[in-house]
Amino acid sequence: MPTRTILLGCVIVLVAVIAGAPFVLNEGFLRLATECLLLLTMAQMWNLLAGYAGLVSLGHQVFIAFGAYALFLTSGWLEVTPIWVLPVAPLVAGAVAAIIAFPLFRLRDAYFSIAMWVFAEIIGAFTMKSQAVGGTSGMPLATSKLIDFDWFEPTMFWLAGGLTLVTIAALYKMMTSSFGLGLMSVRDNDLAAMSVGVDVRHNRFVAFVLSAAGCGLAGALSFMGNLFIAPLAAFDVNWSVYMMFIVIIGGIGTLEGPILGVIIFFGLRELMTGPLGLSGGWYLVGLGIIAVVVMIVAPRGIWPALRDRLGVRLLDVHRAAPRPAAATILPGASERVTG
Amino acid sequence: MIWVETLINGALLGGLYGLLGIGLALVFGVMRVVNIAHGEFMVLSAFCAVLLSNLFPQVSPLLMLIPVIALSFAVGWLYQAAIVNRVVTSPDPLSPLLLTFGVSVILRNVMVEMFGADVRSLQVGELSRASLEVGGLNIGIMPLLTLVLAALLFMALQLVLRHTEFGRIVRATADRRDIVRLSGVKPDRVYNYVMGLSLALGAIGGVLLAVRSSFTPFSGAERLLIAFEVVVLGGLGSFWGALLGGIALGMAQLIGLKIDPNAGLLYAHLLFFIMLLIRPSGLVSSRV
Repeated sequence: MPTRTILLGCVIVLVAVIAGAPFVLNEGFLRLATECLLLLTMAQMWNLLAGYAGLVSLGHQVFIAFGAYALFLTSGWLEVTPIWVLPVAPLVAGAVAAIIAFPLFRLRDAYFSIAMWVFAEIIGAFTMKSQAVGGTSGMPLATSKLIDFDWFEPTMFWLAGGLTLVTIAALYKMMTSSFGLGLMSVRDNDLAAMSVGVDVRHNRFVAFVLSAAGCGLAGALSFMGNLFIAPLAAFDVNWSVYMMFIVIIGGIGTLEGPILGVIIFFGLRELMTGPLGLSGGWYLVGLGIIAVVVMIVAPRGIWPALRDRLGVRLLDVHRAAPRPAAATILPGASERVTG
Repeated sequence: MIWVETLINGALLGGLYGLLGIGLALVFGVMRVVNIAHGEFMVLSAFCAVLLSNLFPQVSPLLMLIPVIALSFAVGWLYQAAIVNRVVTSPDPLSPLLLTFGVSVILRNVMVEMFGADVRSLQVGELSRASLEVGGLNIGIMPLLTLVLAALLFMALQLVLRHTEFGRIVRATADRRDIVRLSGVKPDRVYNYVMGLSLALGAIGGVLLAVRSSFTPFSGAERLLIAFEVVVLGGLGSFWGALLGGIALGMAQLIGLKIDPNAGLLYAHLLFFIMLLIRPSGLVSSRV
């Protein structure tokens, strides 16, 4: 059977499962599933940037916050059910990303990562000062009275499920297209990619804006489910920690990796904070230890290691290199000044 | 007059910020790794100082710096040997970044679970309130001593790196990690000492900052951001630049606090971000 048929079959089964799940699962479980799916979407978006475009962002929470605040404010102004203004969230987050890309793209590697973090801190500090968005105490969803609460949890779950499926399908399509090939060539060797005519800046820019928009939408959905937003939760650096750990543990630069990562992430959380009765802090310690061990033992993550051992290929967008890549050239000695 | 005092106090605070940055700059200069866990190690050293001064209340907390520095050096040595050296030669420049970020998350949450999330500070008694009156200006003794100590440490580090055998080995390893092996140098071992030195310098900054302002297990992120901003503002690889960068940040923070009392580090962050836009190479731009 060709891969396309198998994938199509999987999609149909998944759509049916997501459509039917709210009728079978209880409310608590449904909320957990929604959370899983939203975090999976965010992790895929972070992975698009880190795993494919080679840009590690430690300030991605800023896009989650922008999306969520955009939804809360627009829904309040227009006085319509928040679901109808959801498209505002990715638009705002994407627009912010498009603007800050200009200064940030001058920076490379760790500089980009930390400058993103500083940017998130600055926006967070301004948000806490601004009384128009509720300051430090945050604000409730003004139009929550328009929500039909009988169907709220199932709707949230369907939206999250739909978003996850569309995200993964779109990423698969993108990574098998020439744009995806260009993106991966930039990640692997930007000089070589440029020399064959890949527009590095453009590719990175598109990945950055898409990643921000996706996080904005997922963040808006996440805070819509809470019916409340506060800056300490929205600008929490732990959003980036979660996205990063999920991607690193599962497998960076693969589409299946974050799925495996989310399963481990929530499995460990339910195990440690449930039956073992440990606090959230110890859970993060445990997750961090797993991430550090994975990075040392299998730097590409668990999924690629498993895939090579089992020979399973699911959503594979990998292309074999025609020959081994040349050894990296040592950077010039003259830049290294320590005195 | 009040503004002159603010500027002077900002410059004194800047000396401390320079100390936060210098450890990060050292590790970056030698092994091209941004140690994201640097801030958490600083907070850890502050917790050690608090614990020690609770154990020995009769000893001045500033004397606790000596065992804390020694401990930090050992911790840094082990941290590098056990963890960072495994990825330092990775062809992917992002591996060390992600790994040290993971370590910072572990450390932060271990500290939350062990010491609780309460706000702490290190009390040094009279010394923290003592001040000097010069031409109508009030200048704190403690910040002044900190700036002097920072300048001395910067000079000592410069001397060690320029004129001792250890310094030559470190510089050679920084330049060509592969070629120093021909002279019998083990780069990994050099890295261990450099990380130890970096965390020892970080411990001095961390403990002195704990004297000046309170801290929680979550303070590591903000200390790392200051340290990073100091290094970038000062221009990469330049130690004196780091001191200048620290002074600029300290002034920005205190001027910001004068205008807007609950601004926190907002104005320091803003200065950094604006400088990135107009002068990405730093204040003291060295070779490109």
